[in-house]
Amino acid sequence: MSDIPIKLEGVWKIFGTRAEEAMAAVRSEGLSKNEVLARFGAVIGIADVSFDVHWGEIFCIMGLSGSGKSTLIRHINRLIEPTAGRVEVLGRDVTRLSEPELRAMRSQKIGMVFQHMALLPHRSVRDNVAYPLEIRGAPKGRRWEISQHVLSLVGLDGFEDRFPDEISGGMQQRVGLARALASDPDVLLMDEPFSALDPLIRRQLQDQFKALSEQLHKTTLFITHDLDEAIRLGTRIAIMKDGRIVQIGTPVDIVTNPADDYVRDFVRNISRLKLVFAHAIMEPLTSDSAEKFAQSPRVSQDSDLDHLVDVAITTPHPLVITNAEGKDIGVVSKDRLLRGIQGGK
Amino acid sequence: MPANRTQGATGNAPSIDLTPSITEFVGARAAFYVGRFKLLLAGQNRWRVNWAALIFGPLWAAARGIWAFFWLFAILELVAWVQVGRGIWGDLGADKLAEAARLQAKSDQLMAEAARGDTNAELLVESAGNLARAAENARAASEAGEASTTTYLLVGLLLLGLFKLMEGLWADRVYERQYTRWRVDKRVPSGFNLYRLAGGCALLLLVFSLTLYRFTVSQPDQRIVSVPVPSTYHTHTANLIEDYLDRTARAGAGLFNSIAGGTEAVLNAIEAVFVETSWPVIVIFFLLAAWRLAGGRVAIFTGAALAYMGILGLWEKSMLTLALVSSAAVFCVLMGIPLGVWCARSSRVYAVVRPVLDMMQTMPAFVYLIPIIAFFGTGKVPGILATIAFSMPPVIRLTALGLAQVPKDVVEAARAFGATQWQLMTGVELPLAAPTIMTGVNQTILMCLSMVVIASLIGARGLGQEVLVALQFVAKGQGILAGLAILCCAMVLDRIVQGRFRRGDGA
Ligand SMILES: Nc1ncnc2c1ncn2[C@@H]1O[C@H](COP(=O)(O)OP(=O)(O)O)[C@@H](O)[C@H]1O
Ligand SMILES: [Mg+2]
Repeated sequence: MSDIPIKLEGVWKIFGTRAEEAMAAVRSEGLSKNEVLARFGAVIGIADVSFDVHWGEIFCIMGLSGSGKSTLIRHINRLIEPTAGRVEVLGRDVTRLSEPELRAMRSQKIGMVFQHMALLPHRSVRDNVAYPLEIRGAPKGRRWEISQHVLSLVGLDGFEDRFPDEISGGMQQRVGLARALASDPDVLLMDEPFSALDPLIRRQLQDQFKALSEQLHKTTLFITHDLDEAIRLGTRIAIMKDGRIVQIGTPVDIVTNPADDYVRDFVRNISRLKLVFAHAIMEPLTSDSAEKFAQSPRVSQDSDLDHLVDVAITTPHPLVITNAEGKDIGVVSKDRLLRGIQGGK
Repeated sequence: MPANRTQGATGNAPSIDLTPSITEFVGARAAFYVGRFKLLLAGQNRWRVNWAALIFGPLWAAARGIWAFFWLFAILELVAWVQVGRGIWGDLGADKLAEAARLQAKSDQLMAEAARGDTNAELLVESAGNLARAAENARAASEAGEASTTTYLLVGLLLLGLFKLMEGLWADRVYERQYTRWRVDKRVPSGFNLYRLAGGCALLLLVFSLTLYRFTVSQPDQRIVSVPVPSTYHTHTANLIEDYLDRTARAGAGLFNSIAGGTEAVLNAIEAVFVETSWPVIVIFFLLAAWRLAGGRVAIFTGAALAYMGILGLWEKSMLTLALVSSAAVFCVLMGIPLGVWCARSSRVYAVVRPVLDMMQTMPAFVYLIPIIAFFGTGKVPGILATIAFSMPPVIRLTALGLAQVPKDVVEAARAFGATQWQLMTGVELPLAAPTIMTGVNQTILMCLSMVVIASLIGARGLGQEVLVALQFVAKGQGILAGLAILCCAMVLDRIVQGRFRRGDGA
């Protein structure tokens, strides 16, 4: 098996009849999105996107509506052909696959969940979940066993014989997830799966999905327009803007080190309590001031701000931060803690 | 309290000055219209006369570019003027007088024949008397016509006055509405324009003079009444087309014969099933089908319809009709659904097929018979071919529509799970399009039934032929019985097919 399940290199997508010409012009002259539209009547969907997704991680792609997220994710299973660049899935160049190879990959290796569920309205929940297996020609008995099993994984026992329009939106999306899991794929593609649901259900499904994905070890490419969701679920996050990726990093990287004003704007309202850790806000401890803090409580450098607050309200003294060996390395005063929560001013 | 506050907010709304914009719109005589529009906008709806519009009517509208007003009142005034014209110059008794003279001449001729001692002289004399009396009536009518000129004149003047009044009272409101439209769409005509006025004058002059001339002069120039072309144009063109069709028919005889042969084989087989199966079997089959597919009420209705056909001796003809309709419908579905799928797949194909379908659906049913008899002659096979050609458009159209309406995301999902084109078509697209397609099939079946009657003109048998014969011999009773039998067939088929799809829908 290849070591990188999903690998994109310099992928471009330009929509329009004159996409090739536009691509050449972009390469040679570095035209902007609007120039391409004006000169070739072509829309740049995604521009020069490269990234690797690692085994078992949830790789979130976050961006506003129209930033090219759906276009990007559809390159992985070649629902959209790239204008330029290379898309590698499980070690194979997707654009080189023949029709039957591509279909085999889609039905066995890649599962997909859609924003608007896209269930087949004329089939029961069971037959919807079994659809990918049916396409592969699995016998009916096997299809039924598997759909029963994945439906229980997503907590939908007993709904097998309903029709999609007889169950709630949250349940429908769990059916969508079950359908994607049915063929036990290595890669899950999820295009804003929870965006159409109301906040309470969304939260519930996020937690359920997180638990499930830890249990099943799927490699997931997860699209969202909601940074909270990306931070809650993502192992790493890529921020997209106008078809380009502006930053890739762990949730902590993104929140503490936004690459530009655009990302900074996004993270402004994100709670930092669980994302920022003591070592990021502490003042280094000079050796001479050591006895001054004799009465201060000791806190590990890996504690998050949430924990620092818990400790700080129990004492009038500043907090002393210790490293892995238990040695004092820094100090966090109350003022500093408050500023840290605000995001450092 | 909140209501009060809202009122305060709207009550304080500053007034806006529309004068510049109205002035720009109106052009000439702006001050007058600014006043009038402001009254209307202020909600003062008292009717005020616009004298320019009252006097000049359509010409005022033309100059201001209010073309709907122009045409409406041009036509209304024309109607009034024609009455006036006939009142003043009209030779109203002339028609009747001419008719009287003709009848009298005919009567005299008959009398002369009778006098010559023809065998049925008595009959001739009686007819001559009838004609003479008719001639007398016509003469009386002619005199009455002469007397009614004053009535025409009066009615004409009254109408004219009425229309003028309407023009005068309505003008401001219509113009104000045009102003409102102009504000959002500057292509709406505005201002007082002399070119438009000249155009309006020319139009009115032409229309009024020709019409008044045509209606008031007793013997108008023939060139005005009918288009002045020689009648040979028509015969020549018709001959050309006929030659062409004959040549094509001769050249393609092999093709046309094999089409006809194939169709005939299928038709004969289906006809044999319907006609030669003994009637109780057919009844049981229909009742079961109706009950299983559409439920108990439809089954009862089907029983009643079948009883009607059987008891009134229309059984065999009804079965022939049903056979014809079923064969035609089967052909339509077999060819129409694939064609519809093709249209949905390729926008280029649909761009070609759509105008053809439009033409087929607007063409009167009788016209289908002409190319059919040119290539296939007469008889039941041409009859069914005409029926198929006439009835196919709805299946094609609704199949294409149904497929186009399948949600894109569901199709995408199926592709994302690795479905082949065929799996996509059979497992997703056709099932989701099925209700729409079934509507098309239903429409096609009903069109087949209506065409089957018309096809009897070229020799299709069955109930249509019965109706045709009844028409030719004015056999009203027979005609109505056959017509009702056709209605029964139509309703039974319609209910069964629709019932099927309603149940299939799960609703
Ligand atoms: N088939 C297409 N043809 C032309 N433009 C497209 C097409 N699909 C998407 N786009 C354009 O590409 C951009 C990205 O769209 P999309 O990937 O749907 O964004 P997102 O999923 O982030 O909301 C948009 O500007 C959209 O208008
Ligand atoms: Mg999207």
